[in-house]
Amino acid sequence: MTLGLPGHLARDSMSRALAHAGHCAAWVCLGIGALISLIGAVVNADPAGWAGAALCGAMALLLLLVARFDSVTFTVLYLVAGAGAVLAATVLVMDPAYGFESTNNVLLALPRVALILVGGAGVGTAIAITWGTLGYGLGLAATFLGAMIAGATWAPNLAAGMAFGIFLVVRIYDGVTRSSDQRRETGLHRASQQNRELAIRHDYELRATARLHDTALSHLVAIAAAGSGPVDERLREGIRRDLGLIVGRDWATEHAHFADEPGRNGAAARAGSPGSRPADAATQTAPTLEQTFTAAEHAGLELRVTGDLAVLGALGPGRAAALDQAAAQCVINVARHAGVGEAELAIGFAGGEVTVAVMDSGVGFDESEVGEDRIGLRTSVRARIEQEDGTVRVWSTKGIGTTVVLTVPEGGR
Amino acid sequence: MNRIRLSQQEADPIGGITAAWIVTIGAALALGTAVVQTVAHWREVVSPVAAIIALGLVAVAGIVAAVSATPQRAPFTTERLWLVVGLAVAAAVAEYVSTIGANRMLYDDFGSIVIGMLILALAPYCTWLSLLAAGLLSAAVLSFLVVGSAMATAVDVPIASLIAVNSAAVLSLSAAAAGYSYAIVDETLAWQRKANRAALQRDAELRAGIARSVQQSQVSVLGREVLPFLAGVMPADRISVDDADHARELAETLRHALKAGIESTWLDDLAANLQLTRAIDVVVDDPSGAADDLASDQRSALTALLSWLSDSGRTTAIEVVLAIDPPRHRITIRAVNGAAPPTRRELDRFAAVARAVALRAEVALTGENVKVEVTHVPD
Repeated sequence: MTLGLPGHLARDSMSRALAHAGHCAAWVCLGIGALISLIGAVVNADPAGWAGAALCGAMALLLLLVARFDSVTFTVLYLVAGAGAVLAATVLVMDPAYGFESTNNVLLALPRVALILVGGAGVGTAIAITWGTLGYGLGLAATFLGAMIAGATWAPNLAAGMAFGIFLVVRIYDGVTRSSDQRRETGLHRASQQNRELAIRHDYELRATARLHDTALSHLVAIAAAGSGPVDERLREGIRRDLGLIVGRDWATEHAHFADEPGRNGAAARAGSPGSRPADAATQTAPTLEQTFTAAEHAGLELRVTGDLAVLGALGPGRAAALDQAAAQCVINVARHAGVGEAELAIGFAGGEVTVAVMDSGVGFDESEVGEDRIGLRTSVRARIEQEDGTVRVWSTKGIGTTVVLTVPEGGR
Repeated sequence: MNRIRLSQQEADPIGGITAAWIVTIGAALALGTAVVQTVAHWREVVSPVAAIIALGLVAVAGIVAAVSATPQRAPFTTERLWLVVGLAVAAAVAEYVSTIGANRMLYDDFGSIVIGMLILALAPYCTWLSLLAAGLLSAAVLSFLVVGSAMATAVDVPIASLIAVNSAAVLSLSAAAAGYSYAIVDETLAWQRKANRAALQRDAELRAGIARSVQQSQVSVLGREVLPFLAGVMPADRISVDDADHARELAETLRHALKAGIESTWLDDLAANLQLTRAIDVVVDDPSGAADDLASDQRSALTALLSWLSDSGRTTAIEVVLAIDPPRHRITIRAVNGAAPPTRRELDRFAAVARAVALRAEVALTGENVKVEVTHVPD
């Protein structure tokens, strides 16, 4: 969400909002005028009441056209017809039978106020004041003429004058304050855009960190753990593949297609192991957990799989890849820390969510005791899954084992 | 958020702030109207004390409205609207008492128009529904007064007509206020939807560039030692003890570098950006990552403030300290004045924007520095 209106739109928006405010007030005035006329017609059986209500109704309908179409034609039509209505209303109201001393009365104020609040075609302070002044002037002239026709005393209508005054104050204030540079100075929109960019950058940085954790850091840890001796061929192959990926490719943008890369598929094919990996025809086109199986194989971990891999087809390729990468990190964690040679991988789909659980019967751990500098679970697992609107739950008991459940909603990028 | 729960001060904070003076003008006009009308119908006044109390209540209502709407006291709450309207209605009752039994003309009573003017003046600060409710309830109270006055009026018309006539001012002005509030919020939300769509399109263009720059910066983290080391191990036949030790050291270094990256927040990124582009020191002290608890609009408000402070020589150094003081989070911004130090009025504008997005903000200025303290309760 962005905060407020930008400077270049404020003029038009404020002008339209003020015009709408005027229309609402005008409709209420005309409604009350019609109501009073109808009460007179019904209660006192006064035929002039019907005429008064019709005049107010006609003005209200014309104002509706002005509000709806915002054209010069309808504005002029409303002003001319409205002036005619005020003239007719003056002749009706100033009948001596009603006992009004002069045209300074509330019944004549109602249509006149509605005439001032025409709003009119176009936006901006000057044009609005022009239309409003025309409405005031025409109403004034119509009342004067009506009083002459009716032979009544003409007097300036204070309520109409006050309405015109309020109208002028509001419009002039709007014009004066809008010309100041407060909106531009505050730079809320620039700030909003900047925040958006920072959020995108942070998002990519998290992904990039997770990737570096999985690749460079993982290899460094493997080399340190291996100690002196011949270089493991799988480690060599992994370093070669990942160096090419880090240095030579746009991996930050391509991560969504990571699982589909030829090199990955090739590695997956080589890592095929009939005992541990389901490889039926259905999983050839749907997303798979290739990285998870490859990681298990490289780590020498036997992975028992339950559930149907085809449920991964419910996920978009990017989301499936993120789930695969997170599960792979869980498997690596089992191999590194659990002290066991096997783990279980359960895959399921329920309630619109795909779940992958990685379970082991290893040494277990207390999450609160995990060192501050350990970032695998945080970046490679939690951050990835949370970026896909998913959740990670970890149950671990020392001496019993660990279960990590990764859940992501179906669909996704 | 929807139109029923939003007012202009929330949807368009700057618009709300610029409207502050219209409340003072509206209050002054309301008081002026009340005085003129009272003088004009003084011959009908039977209780001068009540008439003066009525004018006093109008003045108090106007002062409460004007003071409550100042940016320093933002946000304007619905309770304040009801207080102002309550005082204005009390003024109308006092006016009724002042002319009781002798009020020949309702047309020259000020109650209805004064209430309406105050409601209209407060339109930028209230939801359209609360403005409409205030107008309708005031009109209902005034109707009871009309029934009481009906016996003394000069014209013989149905009581319903008198009620309608007397309510015209308050109802039409309240309708104008509600119409304005509805329309400006509607316009703002429509713009925001449009802006968000445009931002989403722009995001797609931004992503590629940002991704590349992130990749380059991350690769540069590795470039000096990690990549050459791994490249050296790859073709080797054996790993030596030194290699293993070196790998361990590099792993620790890299882990720390990655950890620092993970724990940085948008505020750290903003500070780095400002430091780079504005060439002033911007230090963020956020040990618990509390900056991430701020909502999107709150981040924008703080970003706007920090960007503005760091621009045009207003300050020479900025320090942002975040602390958790349950249940509130406190953000303290201290800035050393530059060649063109900020004024209180300018800072109040940002404080009012902050208040509009559910942050409490206090501003303190001295000749040498500026302190803005913002607190909030995370969702």
